[in-house]
Amino acid sequence: MSWLASFWVVLAKELREGLRDRKALITALFFPALGPILVVVMLFLVSDSTRQADEKGVEIPVAGRQNAPNLVAHLEQGARVVDAPADPVEAVRRGDVPVVIVIPPDFGEKLRAGQPAPVRLILDESRHQARPAASTAERLLGSWSHQVAAQRLIVRGVHPAVIEPLAVEREDVSTPASRAAMLLATIPFFLVMAMFTGGMPIAIDVTAGERERQSLEPLFAAPVPRSSLVLAKIAASAAFGAATLAETLVGFGLVPLAVPATRIGFSVQLDPGLLFTTFLLCLPTTVAAAALMVVFAARARSFRAAQTSLSLLMLVPSLPGMALAFQSARPPASLYAVPFLGQQLIVNELVRGMPLVPSQALLATGASLVAALVVCAFAIRTFERGQPLFDG
Amino acid sequence: MIRLDGVSKSFGDVRALGGISFEVPDGQITGLLGPNGAGKTTALRIVYGVLRPDAGQASVDGIDLATDRLQAQRRLGVFPHAQGLYTRLTAREHILYFGQIHGLSGEPLRRRADELIAALGMEDIADRRTEGFSQGQRVKVALARALVHDPRNVVLDEPTNGLDVAATRQVRTLLLQLRAQGRCILFSSHVMQEVSALCDRVVVIARGTVAAEGTPDDLRRQTGKESLEDAFVAAIGSEEGLA
Repeated sequence: MSWLASFWVVLAKELREGLRDRKALITALFFPALGPILVVVMLFLVSDSTRQADEKGVEIPVAGRQNAPNLVAHLEQGARVVDAPADPVEAVRRGDVPVVIVIPPDFGEKLRAGQPAPVRLILDESRHQARPAASTAERLLGSWSHQVAAQRLIVRGVHPAVIEPLAVEREDVSTPASRAAMLLATIPFFLVMAMFTGGMPIAIDVTAGERERQSLEPLFAAPVPRSSLVLAKIAASAAFGAATLAETLVGFGLVPLAVPATRIGFSVQLDPGLLFTTFLLCLPTTVAAAALMVVFAARARSFRAAQTSLSLLMLVPSLPGMALAFQSARPPASLYAVPFLGQQLIVNELVRGMPLVPSQALLATGASLVAALVVCAFAIRTFERGQPLFDG
Repeated sequence: MIRLDGVSKSFGDVRALGGISFEVPDGQITGLLGPNGAGKTTALRIVYGVLRPDAGQASVDGIDLATDRLQAQRRLGVFPHAQGLYTRLTAREHILYFGQIHGLSGEPLRRRADELIAALGMEDIADRRTEGFSQGQRVKVALARALVHDPRNVVLDEPTNGLDVAATRQVRTLLLQLRAQGRCILFSSHVMQEVSALCDRVVVIARGTVAAEGTPDDLRRQTGKESLEDAFVAAIGSEEGLA
C-alpha cells in the first residue's frame, strides 16, 4: 500500500465522518452567511444615515409655524418643514422625530421689538441617527439669526462684516462611498475567520477527539505512514476550511445584489473573477490554518482545551489585518510576506477596486506556502512521536 | 512468529521494561501474564509498533520493527490497549476502513467483512453506527477490524476485559480457532483462569522483567507449586495485582 493510497483512504474516512458531524456541518453551512449578512445590514444603515444627512431629505418638524412665516420660509430652503407632533418633547425622547423646533406665540412680537425672539430646539444628543437633522436645524436657525442681525446692522449703517471675525467654510469630504468602503475592509477578516472556523471542528475531532475516544492507537498499530496519516487529517480540515471560505466568498458576491449601487452611492467590486482570485490567493493559508489547528489540537490536553486554544489561535492571524484595513496609509511591502496578513492586505485592496499587484501576490502566496510546509512538518513530527497522542 | 530481544523502555524516570526477551511461536497461544503495571501493555505496544524501545529489538516474522515498521505491522492483527471506535461510522465501515488501510479493496474486502461479521455473530449491529455500543459489541468490532487482513500474527491486549461470560467464551473460541489455523497468538491478561484455560505457553512478567516462562506444566515444575495460581505468585514474588 503506497503512501498516497493510505493518504486517500484516511482522507476519505475523515471526510465521511466530518460530513456526518452535525456540528461541523452547521459551522460550515451557517458561518459563511454571517459576514455577508453583517456587511449588508451595515451598508443599509450607512446608506440610510447618509441619505438623511443629505439636507434635502431632512425633515424638520416645527410647532407654531404660523408664528414665524419668514423663519419657516428660511427653514424650507434647507429642509422639509413638517408639522410637529402633539407632544414634541416626548416624541423626541422616544425617537419618533429627530428634532422639533417650537416657535412660541410671542415670537413675532419680541422680534419686532428688537428683543431676542425665543425659539426652542428640542433634540436628543444621545441619539446618533438624530444628529444630522439636529445639526441641520441648528445651522438653519443660526443662519437666519445671522441674516436678521446683518439686516439690522445695515439699517443702522454698520457693515455686517463687523460681527463676522471668522469666515468658516465647512467642507465634508466623506462620501457615502468612502464610508461604505470602510465596511468592505471587514471582508478579509471574515475570510480568515472562515478558513479557521470551517476547519476547526474537523481539526479537533481528528486529534483531541480521536484521543478522547481512544481510536488513535489502533490506527497507529496499522501500517499507515504517520506522515500520510497526519497530512490526510490536515487535508480533511483544510477541505472544510476551503469550502467555508468559498461559501463566504459567494455570500459576499451576493452583497451587491442585496444592496443596489443607487442606494449606497457606489458599486461594490465583487465580480466572480475577483472572488475566484481571492479564493486561490487564500488556499495556501487555508492549508496553513488547518495544519496549525491540527498541531495545537493534537497537543491540547483535552477536547475542551483544544476548542479554547483554537478559538484564541484564530484571533491571532485575523485581528492585525482588521486593524490595518482601517488604516488608510499604504502598508510597507514587507508586511505582504506575513502569512494571513499579506492575503488580507491584498484582498482589502481588491475589494476597493485596486488592481492585483503580481509581485505582492507572489510574495504573499510564497510566504504562506512556506508557512504551511513548516507547520505540516511540525505536525508530522508531533505524530511520529506518537505516544502522547493516544495516552491522553 | 514474534520475538523480543533485550527490550527495555523507560518513561522519564520510570523503568517500564528492563530488557525482556521472549519468543512467541506460530500455531500456539502465548499468554503474557503479570500484575497490573508489570509492563504488559508497554511490551505489546512495542510489538505492534506504536512505541519504540530504548534498547533491544522487536520483530515480527523476522522483520525488525525499528527498521521496517510498516512491513511488520502488515503481518500483525492488533487488538490494542485502547480500542476506541469512530462513533459516526458503522461497525461494517470500521472493518472496511481497516481493510483499506491494509490494502484490500472491492469485492474481496466486502466478502471478508461479511465473513467476519458472520463469524463474530454481529449481523444485527453491522450497519449501525457504533455510538452507544455495549462493551461486548465494541470488542467484536475491534476484533473484526484487527483480523480483516487475515494476519499471520495476532496480538491482543486484555481482550476479555469488561466482557460478560458469554462474550468471554466467544473470544476464547475465536482464539482457539485462530490457533487451529496455525497463527501466532500473543495475548495479555491478568486473569489466571483465562491464561491457564487457553495458553500453550505462558510468559510471566513482573516489574518489567520476565519472571518465568514455559508451558503451564513447566511453571508448576519450576516453582514447585501444585496449583498454577501458587506458581504464579511464586514467580511474581507477591500476590499484588493478580485476579
